Amino acid sequence: MRLRKQLSAPPFWTVGLLLALGLLFFALTSFATPTQAAPDKFQGEQPSNDFCLACHQEEGITLTLGSDSLPVTINPTLFSLSVHAEEGINCVDCHTNISDYPHPDVQEKSVQDFSQALNVSCKDCHEEQYSNVQDSVHQRAISEGKENAPLCSDCHNPHTQTRVIGTESGQLTIAARLHIPQTCAQCHSDKYEQYKASVHGKALTEEGNVDVPTCTDCHGVHKISDPTTATFRNSTPALCANCHTDPKIMDKYGISTKVLDTYVADFHGTTVKLFAEQFPDQPTNKAVCTDCHGVHDISKVDNPQTGIALRENLLIKCQRCHPDATANFPGAWLSHYEPSPQHSPIVYFVTLFYKIMIPSIIGGMVFFIITDIYRRMVNRAKGVKHA
Amino acid sequence: MSSQPRTYLRFPLARRIEHIGLMLSFITLAATGLPQKYPTSGISIFIVQALGGVENIRTIHHAMSILVMFAIIYHLLVMGYKVFVLRTPWSMMLSLQDAKDGIHALLYNIGIAKTSPKMGRYTFEEKFEYWAFVWGYTIMGITGFIMWNPITATRYLPGEFVPAAKAAHGGEAVLAVLAIIIWHMYGVNIKHFNRSIFTGKITEEEMVHEHPKELEDIKAGRVDRVPDAATLRKRRRIFYPIAAILTIAMLAGVYGYINSEETALKTIPPISTTVESPLQTPQP
Repeated sequence: MRLRKQLSAPPFWTVGLLLALGLLFFALTSFATPTQAAPDKFQGEQPSNDFCLACHQEEGITLTLGSDSLPVTINPTLFSLSVHAEEGINCVDCHTNISDYPHPDVQEKSVQDFSQALNVSCKDCHEEQYSNVQDSVHQRAISEGKENAPLCSDCHNPHTQTRVIGTESGQLTIAARLHIPQTCAQCHSDKYEQYKASVHGKALTEEGNVDVPTCTDCHGVHKISDPTTATFRNSTPALCANCHTDPKIMDKYGISTKVLDTYVADFHGTTVKLFAEQFPDQPTNKAVCTDCHGVHDISKVDNPQTGIALRENLLIKCQRCHPDATANFPGAWLSHYEPSPQHSPIVYFVTLFYKIMIPSIIGGMVFFIITDIYRRMVNRAKGVKHA
Repeated sequence: MSSQPRTYLRFPLARRIEHIGLMLSFITLAATGLPQKYPTSGISIFIVQALGGVENIRTIHHAMSILVMFAIIYHLLVMGYKVFVLRTPWSMMLSLQDAKDGIHALLYNIGIAKTSPKMGRYTFEEKFEYWAFVWGYTIMGITGFIMWNPITATRYLPGEFVPAAKAAHGGEAVLAVLAIIIWHMYGVNIKHFNRSIFTGKITEEEMVHEHPKELEDIKAGRVDRVPDAATLRKRRRIFYPIAAILTIAMLAGVYGYINSEETALKTIPPISTTVESPLQTPQP
């Protein structure tokens, strides 16, 4: 008994120690491994990309999925330029169930189902983006089983997607930024047409201007929220203010950065400000930026056809919420100007009147009260009863 | 001798109720109005949240303003009765004497005049406050109407009058609140705690100090002289129908004030409803 116990002790300790070390190593490596690195899932010999492309570069090959037909031709040139090729990702890193030819049978009955099954493999490297999508309006469409609901590959064709984040800058590249509207246009073409004609879209699509917002600046990237909610609407002033109160962007174009302050100073803005403070998710009938300026079709305010600097154009916007409004009504809005003798002189002089009257009257009152207190103190010191 | 000092009735019950109504509505109007003038201040946000949101404070503000309108109508009717039927001296009316009294009081305070001014039923301080209220509520009533009914107002006025009305309403509010805090609080609470607006009574000693002329008039039997029954009946026959017509007109005014227009839709029509519009030829 004694001997056996002595003998059994060392292996027990060794196993325990090794187990602990192993766990520690596993823990350390799993934290240290960059999420971007492709996991080495493939057991045994991996077929090379060239091996796959040998067949898949052939034009016109398709995969039949139920009644759908999916082209499975991969352009080797475009693939070699893609970020995945650049990063040395192998076909089988994503197509994990394929290791040889003939390929295993495909169970899915539609392109959407097939793409959805493959979609999870994006998560292996792009976990953050993948989980952001889970909270998005697109994921909701996927969950509802919408046929056209976008999957990762609908915006980022994995076989052709080039690098979108600059390796040095860590920022979205200019080329990627300029390409975004076309990506969204695949499904939201009417919004794209409006955007393209808008002051923002025109600058982006025609001049390659990177100061103007592209789709994702307002809607977000992967975590795209439902823009028809009250929450989204209530947050509009803050959203537009991101750029429109930044002199670094606005000064170039001579646009006022006081647009938010002047909005909050107005009845609508005051209400939305106070309202959103307490009920950010409740609808309000007070106008936010987009109610007057439009959403995707925002035009310059001095545009002769649609610009709301023109009273007639603004009146149409007013009448959306104030159906009985007449010609003078738009004048109630100060057009983001702070009152001055040139702009809104009546408001300016009324404000000035009170700026002078309040200190004068209150100052006079305080002065009289001080003299009264002084008299009472003097009288008390002299022992004179207040007469 | 009796230790109970002699008191006079300064304010009958109706005046006291009017004051309480005015006081409560003023405080409520200020508490629900100023947060709208200063929406970014922490106190404003606290008040708005405590009262359940900005739409609620607006409803309270509007309700209180209706109360004030009714109080004003009541006040005008009572004053009309007193002035035209009872022919009570219009003791609240401003006169040159008030300006003289004001200067006199100031000169006395700074030691130039040897005595303080001898004043009647209402001192110049009180008259100043009353007329400040008349002025203030006139401005508040007009500018409030423009803001409450901007569509009706802009049928006749330039649009700019709406933000101008808002500026005046806010400026007047700040002026009124400060005047109440400084002038009214000093005059009735700090200088000496004057309870007469709540108790209705004023002591003889207070009368001697503050309203010596009125005391003289009372002692000489010059106040509260009621006309004889026949005259009273004759005047009432004229006053009542006129008052009734005016009351109906004023109530119609209040109704118009509240119901002139449906300013805005409760729910804004959505800007766009279509979500999907796929391209005919999909682009990669």
